[in-house]
Amino acid sequence: MNPRTRHALEFVLDNLVWFMLLLVLVVFSLFIPNYFQLGIFANIIEASSVLGVMSIGLALVIIAGHMDLSVESVAALSAMAVGILFCSSGIGLGVQLHPEWLMVPVSLLLALAVGGLIGAFNGYLVVKVKMSAFIITLASYIWVRGLVLVISGGRSAQDLAPAIRWFGIQRLIGLPLTAWIAVACFVVFSLIMAKTPFGRHLVMIGGNETATFRAGIRVNRNLIIAFVLAGAIAGLAGWLLAIRTSGATANLGVGLLFNAFAAVVIGGVSLKGGVGTLPGVYAGVLLLSAINTAINLMGLPANFTQVIHGLLVLAAVLLDAFKQTIRQRLA
Amino acid sequence: MSEPLLVLDNVTKNYGAIEALKGISFSIGKGEVVALLGDNGAGKSTLVKIIAGGLEPTSGRMLFEGKEFLARSPAEAKAAGIETVYQDLSLCTNVDVVANFFMGREITRKVLGIPVLDERAMEAVVGKALASAGTRIPSLRTNVEHLSGGQRQAIELNRFVHWGGKLVLLDEPFAALGVEQTRRGLDMIRQVASQGIGVVIITHIMQQAFQVADRIVVIRQGVVAGDVARNKTSPDAVINMITGETLAGAGPAG
Repeated sequence: MNPRTRHALEFVLDNLVWFMLLLVLVVFSLFIPNYFQLGIFANIIEASSVLGVMSIGLALVIIAGHMDLSVESVAALSAMAVGILFCSSGIGLGVQLHPEWLMVPVSLLLALAVGGLIGAFNGYLVVKVKMSAFIITLASYIWVRGLVLVISGGRSAQDLAPAIRWFGIQRLIGLPLTAWIAVACFVVFSLIMAKTPFGRHLVMIGGNETATFRAGIRVNRNLIIAFVLAGAIAGLAGWLLAIRTSGATANLGVGLLFNAFAAVVIGGVSLKGGVGTLPGVYAGVLLLSAINTAINLMGLPANFTQVIHGLLVLAAVLLDAFKQTIRQRLA
Repeated sequence: MSEPLLVLDNVTKNYGAIEALKGISFSIGKGEVVALLGDNGAGKSTLVKIIAGGLEPTSGRMLFEGKEFLARSPAEAKAAGIETVYQDLSLCTNVDVVANFFMGREITRKVLGIPVLDERAMEAVVGKALASAGTRIPSLRTNVEHLSGGQRQAIELNRFVHWGGKLVLLDEPFAALGVEQTRRGLDMIRQVASQGIGVVIITHIMQQAFQVADRIVVIRQGVVAGDVARNKTSPDAVINMITGETLAGAGPAG
């Protein structure tokens, strides 16, 4: 095999999920009436913003060789905290700040802080007390959702303050600002993972934790930061969710965790750790969203989405194994 | 003996009721190569981990360059100038050769105050280091998982030669190497020592110890069973010390 074909093949393998996304978009555009429209494509990006942001945090922790099942509940708690303070009906307290724009940074910081705190709690138990991340974050997944039910009493908050909702309404080049926030998050975190020592260290920790410890990398510190980031990013997802639904309900975001998992795995992140990139995860998120949109347009019952997502995850894992064998042949 | 670089004074390590090290005392001079020999389970690897910051001793003290020394983490030992090559390789196979070479010590440049990896500078350094050691690796950008055992070990060895420091600990570094690569590895050790760096090498192969070491220290059942200059002993005498036919558990000799 000459170097050029080899190079081309490696490029395709590295970016396989983007090619899949492209293929799916072309196929849907050809066979589903009305799919090929700018509005539809904008909608795919818009609909994937909350899931996309959440997937970033999940991917960081998985790439570092751990797991965070709590992201969905953390997003719900952050959304509920914002909802209770800044919604004017339901259980909302309708807190007003002057000037009004002040509510934006305050609500955002609140959401990030709630998420970051739970992330720090998870990280501390996993790293310092050396318990399994799966169990710790499963517990958090349950108790944090419970906390949402407790503080809301099972009821909902509606009518989010207009100053905050502005982010969901104001559009820039056809996309609401919330979608741009998600895109910006992907760009920023992709750069952090690919270009900074911190990102490089997380990948290496996911690959061989002992080796990185011996090399003098502060493994514990990096891992705790990863968990805090995952929590804070989930908090941001919650903030976006509250804007999107203009409030918060007790069961807000239920099921997002499994979609985030699907997106991360489809995006090429290995659950074993150390493998995967964030642009791939974004392609995974967009792929799920493109398929959802297709199901909606075809008028299929929404229940089909779950079946398709499950099969897609299965396909992604099989594809990953297939990719591995091809790579071994290449080497 | 030259000026002592590292002095171990009655270092012990217990795992619960088990005494892995019962009191180890010896010293390593600047530019000296010490071969650490001993049967399986004698406590060699435990000792290396204590010096390298992977384990804390139960009691005893160490002097490094004349000052009280205790590394609580590998990072601290590295900061003091102690490099370690472990028996099971310490490479991250999921990243490329360059990333492994610079693990934890990446070259960065500031962009808007944020440290950004300077890949080009790092690749140049690795290319030069590997070329001067005669190691051939097709692409420095291949992930280590695609490299052979010998190539992996070569990366580790070149890494310690490049970073140097003041003291190098090698825990069976040639386990996966061929004859020619081992010879080159032993040359590297002499070359490192000639720069005034102290070297401790653990090995099972008597021939290697006699080829490279200035002094041979034998550990048996957690104590030093022999500490002799290479030119004043013979392989048979050392084997007797290892198996305990002479000086059985008698503590430091000579």
